Amino acid sequence: MKKITVEYGVDSINKQVGSGFTIGDLQEDDAIKGALGFGDNTKALINGIEQDRKTVIPDGATVRIETAANTKAVA
Amino acid sequence: MEKIEIIINDNGTITERTIKERNLKAEGEVLDALTADVTRKNHNVMQIPGWGMAHANVGLTDTIWSIPIDRIPLKARFRVINSVLVPMFASMTDLEMPVVWKAPKEVRLVFVVRTERNDDCVVVGGNWLFAFNKDNNGYRLPLPNLHDECSICTGEFDGTYDSAQECVIASLEQFNKSKWNSDLMTTVEQSQKFFRFKPTNETFDTLPIQAADWTTLCEKVSTATMDRVIL
Repeated sequence: MKKITVEYGVDSINKQVGSGFTIGDLQEDDAIKGALGFGDNTKALINGIEQDRKTVIPDGATVRIETAANTKAVA
Repeated sequence: MEKIEIIINDNGTITERTIKERNLKAEGEVLDALTADVTRKNHNVMQIPGWGMAHANVGLTDTIWSIPIDRIPLKARFRVINSVLVPMFASMTDLEMPVVWKAPKEVRLVFVVRTERNDDCVVVGGNWLFAFNKDNNGYRLPLPNLHDECSICTGEFDGTYDSAQECVIASLEQFNKSKWNSDLMTTVEQSQKFFRFKPTNETFDTLPIQAADWTTLCEKVSTATMDRVIL
């Protein structure tokens, strides 16, 4: 197990997760999404650097979730 | 300067730590690199006619201008449903007209303009519209023409000027006259609970938002641009 901090806007939570927990797992975790209020269209940053979904989150890391830009819908 | 710290460890041993500090003679480019992500906040930088004061968050390559606004001009199609005028953004047949929505005090709206200096001119780098609650969380309003991260699909307009003030004024003029269509619309249900008007003899009065908590009709957002907004 490892401890991570997730930030979204001015809110943040601390969470214990499994050792193989990835950025993608975080972005799809309904409990974290519900607690912080983010949706499906996000990107994740550690120390200001955008992370790949397959990246395993290091123990003690702070992951900042940001809303990603969407593209214009086709009429 | 030298400082000595005596540390008593958990196992009872004692450690001496010596800290030496000296001022480095750093060159300009070193300072620039170290301060690349540092921004400076300045309140009440300039007056925007008809809107109010603009605050600036100045970075190394751009400036984020925050203009707190108290209204949203909605040039869109509307329909009266149960004596309440509501927007019909996707409609092709309802009457199109300009209606001004006045924000209640609990919805803190901020219009944002990014400007970048480009040789001898200043360029508009984007427009955003954020709504903040009392806890300073940012939200995307249930409006079309707003991307998920709250950037505004403004349509084409001239974004190159001599000064940042002209960029901000031009952006707000575009915001004032743009049509709100359904390009980025997900659902109109939230919009019709949020933007409601009572038709009167000569105008339309803004009605209260039809929700106990207005944020339930919006999507919470968090972006690097939003972090630089000055409320």
